[in-house]
Amino acid sequence: MTTDTTTGAASGDRGKPGPDRDPLRPPEPIVPGTTSQERQAIAKQYGLQQMGVRPPLGRYIRDVASRWAFIRVLGTATAYSKNQNNYLGQLWAVLNPILNAAIYILIFGILLGTTRGLDNAISFIVIGTFLYRFFEQSVHAGSRSIAQKTNLIRSLHFPRAVLPIAQVVSLLTTLVPALLVMCAIVLLSGLLPAYPMEHITWSWLLLPVIVALMWIFNTGVAFMVARAVAITPDLDNIIGFVLRLVMYGSGVIFPVTHYVDNLPEGVQGVVGAILEYQPIGVFLYVARSILTQEPSFPQDPVMWVWAAGWAVVAFVVGFIIFWRGEERYGRD
Amino acid sequence: MTESDLHLDVDLDEDFEPEDLEGPKPVATVGDPVLVVDDLHVVYRVFGGKAKQIAAKGADNVREAQAPKRSFLRRLVSSTSQHVGAVSEVHAVRGISFVARHGESIGIVGINGSGKSTLLRAITGLIPPKSGGVYVAGEPALLGVNAALMPQLSGERNIWIGGLALGLTPKQVEERFDEVVEFADIGDFVYMPMKTYSSGMGARLRFAISSAATPDILMIDEALATGDAAFKARSKVRIDEVRKNAGTIFLVSHSISTVEAMCTRVLWVHQGQLVMDGSTDEVLGEYRKFVRAHRAANSSARAGGVGPRARRKKKQD
Repeated sequence: MTTDTTTGAASGDRGKPGPDRDPLRPPEPIVPGTTSQERQAIAKQYGLQQMGVRPPLGRYIRDVASRWAFIRVLGTATAYSKNQNNYLGQLWAVLNPILNAAIYILIFGILLGTTRGLDNAISFIVIGTFLYRFFEQSVHAGSRSIAQKTNLIRSLHFPRAVLPIAQVVSLLTTLVPALLVMCAIVLLSGLLPAYPMEHITWSWLLLPVIVALMWIFNTGVAFMVARAVAITPDLDNIIGFVLRLVMYGSGVIFPVTHYVDNLPEGVQGVVGAILEYQPIGVFLYVARSILTQEPSFPQDPVMWVWAAGWAVVAFVVGFIIFWRGEERYGRD
Repeated sequence: MTESDLHLDVDLDEDFEPEDLEGPKPVATVGDPVLVVDDLHVVYRVFGGKAKQIAAKGADNVREAQAPKRSFLRRLVSSTSQHVGAVSEVHAVRGISFVARHGESIGIVGINGSGKSTLLRAITGLIPPKSGGVYVAGEPALLGVNAALMPQLSGERNIWIGGLALGLTPKQVEERFDEVVEFADIGDFVYMPMKTYSSGMGARLRFAISSAATPDILMIDEALATGDAAFKARSKVRIDEVRKNAGTIFLVSHSISTVEAMCTRVLWVHQGQLVMDGSTDEVLGEYRKFVRAHRAANSSARAGGVGPRARRKKKQD
């Protein structure tokens, strides 16, 4: 089978050093015996595929989907490993968001009283902080999913979209027990003397739906930041500030829309609409409308449409942005 | 101590343990081309440090590098830029071309930092090239003990993650699980976090995981450099087995004897370029001379004798 195309091996003779070569110097680089065109012709003749090229979008989607088992195992393992180096172990997955919520309730709900005008400040803040935390952590985890996994990427072959997806899956697994606690706190807050009773209604069954939409949305955002930080690591420092801005602008711990009235009249409409229909604001509105009987959060189908729209748009756009950088991950 | 001393830690035959690797010399039955590397260039960014002048200048020999004298102002500017915008590009592979055929076992040798591992990862498709291309039949896989798994997780979890990442189905992972544990010889430690393993145990497990799948083209990176003699012998058996099925093998190793025992063809890479490509005996003969000469020069320099630096000074006079 050996034909005269064995130029790779034969070209070795060109690098053969003369006897008078300085032993401290390596031979001169060899000049390949074939031209680039000839090599490409060989590759074509034997049906060889080029490596490291971005696969077409359709095949990429199928590749990612076929790695679902990998995503699940990587996601749950990551979630588990986060809380295994201490005595309370996995309990921290629930204790962390509770402590986080407790601080905001203390400062904003009780000391500053920013939640005036709401019937139940505790459930307002608890729902806000628990769900916002899911978004915030997804963005952080997504941003590091490529940049800090260079070793894994340079060792094994798999569609890189697996990494941001797995990161958000890992957060989702820790969110589920936290959500149960969140619901319990909402119910218990109704027992406090100053607050009206919270009831479990049929609308509570919609909680998994809004969490699923948020999951899709978060994955889309994770794709975008994963590529951005992989190419420009500096952005990792910016993300924290952007997230803080989003937190204060989304009414996580106080009803931000109340403050719009203090703005000059010319900008009230624009700012109000942005604050109301930006994705995090929409997700929090829907979650509050289904879990509480707060008069300022009535059930609103329009908001559901916005939530679904944001989720789909973020996911599709994020996935395409990420896919377009596929052949660059691992080099930078 | 100069920097160049650090680049030269190569196992010569002095460290060679022939009893680990005995067996018949490999013979290639060469078939069709399965891998074509066409003028491959790999450049990657390095954050957190400006490239040393030597790397930027691309001196053809590390020993000849010497920082040029610069004005006070330029030194001031460059010392600031060490901390702000400290990004440099490393041109690790500079235009390598070759054709590999079915049935060949190809060793890649070169001193530290010559671009061997980068070349291997680039032809596996793990580091995207800047220009040029790698054409391949089937899916190549990298077998290495450096494959980073998750140290905080148990060996069991890591076997799952590694197996699935290699493209096995959950069912295949389950089937091969016991085999992997047995090969790695770690017993009940498989349920402990990997960071509690001794370095030998970790290396064995990683090797066992990465050899669980049988690829068409197998790339081995320093896999035989770790572990005791018994494990080396066992992994050689495993690699031979894989080689029978895989067809084509690439091996990167610092140990010349390992390359000699396993390869039919050797590529010598120096500063990202291919300086020799030929039969094992031919290339290793020259490579040995090169490494020996460096070693001799090194030890005489340490002993206060005529080192390369002193020699260059003489030349200048």
